[in-house]
Amino acid sequence: MHIPDGLMDPLVAAAGWIIALSALAVITRRLDRRMDDRRLPLMALLAAGVFVAQMINFPVGGGTSGHLVGAALAAILLGPAAGMAVMMVILAIQCLLFGDGGITALGLNFLNMGVIGCLAGYYVFRAFPVRYRNAGIFAASWLAVFLGAAACAAELAASSIISGGDFGIAPFIAFPSMMIFYAIIGVGEAIITTGILAFLAHVAPGMLDMPGARSTSGSNDKDEVAPDA
Amino acid sequence: MPERRHLKAIGALLAAFAAGLALFFLFSSSMGDGLDRTMENAGVEDGDPVYKAPFDYGGNYPAALAMGMLGFFIVLAAAYLVGRLAGKRGK
Repeated sequence: MHIPDGLMDPLVAAAGWIIALSALAVITRRLDRRMDDRRLPLMALLAAGVFVAQMINFPVGGGTSGHLVGAALAAILLGPAAGMAVMMVILAIQCLLFGDGGITALGLNFLNMGVIGCLAGYYVFRAFPVRYRNAGIFAASWLAVFLGAAACAAELAASSIISGGDFGIAPFIAFPSMMIFYAIIGVGEAIITTGILAFLAHVAPGMLDMPGARSTSGSNDKDEVAPDA
Repeated sequence: MPERRHLKAIGALLAAFAAGLALFFLFSSSMGDGLDRTMENAGVEDGDPVYKAPFDYGGNYPAALAMGMLGFFIVLAAAYLVGRLAGKRGK
């Protein structure tokens, strides 16, 4: 879902940058107040792990593939602000070093995969009771991808309308196509994210008791409050 | 020590990545993702990049594995630095 250069109308791309920079300003303030040095190694390793996981595309049928976005995974483990910081680092390095996603579209890519992905992933996960933790992870990670794709479709449609068809994609193609593809790709994201978190809960249960995550014990509400929420 | 367990868990996931990358080249390296397919359906092609990145992900397994490792360490260092700076500013 990395938007390349030249696809979006410049006005839409600029709006993406403005929203992304505003979100970064908020994230920076929250991290300044709440960053715990003990979470640093996890944050760095998770960022690096999500980067490599994003390189693997899995087939979803019909000659289409998808890859893990990882926003819900990062937000569930670290909290939304640190999750967004992780996604910004990944997206910036993918763009600047590997040419994955255009530099003019970096703001929109961060909005779709970082901001929307982390907020949807984190708050949907937290809305589920502890005893339905895996269902919560599944729903959160699917919605994180699906809502990000919906935003991308809206950006494509807005670009097409603003530019009179010179940029973007007409709404009647952008919305159904993006929604259908990412509804399916989101299932892959949900299976992988639920699998990874179930694996981590098994081999390193403390990891799921990090401040961004819901307590595995399910008995202490204070453990469930994320400091950067 | 929980941190060591975390490192081992991430290490196991990275080993799974190396295996998954091989499967990617077997099954899906030629397939576009949902946005690529939407662009195809609309007859839209990638525009010229405004900025030319120094690397790409590589077109075969060894190159992609090397790029994955390079990216892994760069992202690791960058994320650590971002977190460190945020922590210092907050103190």
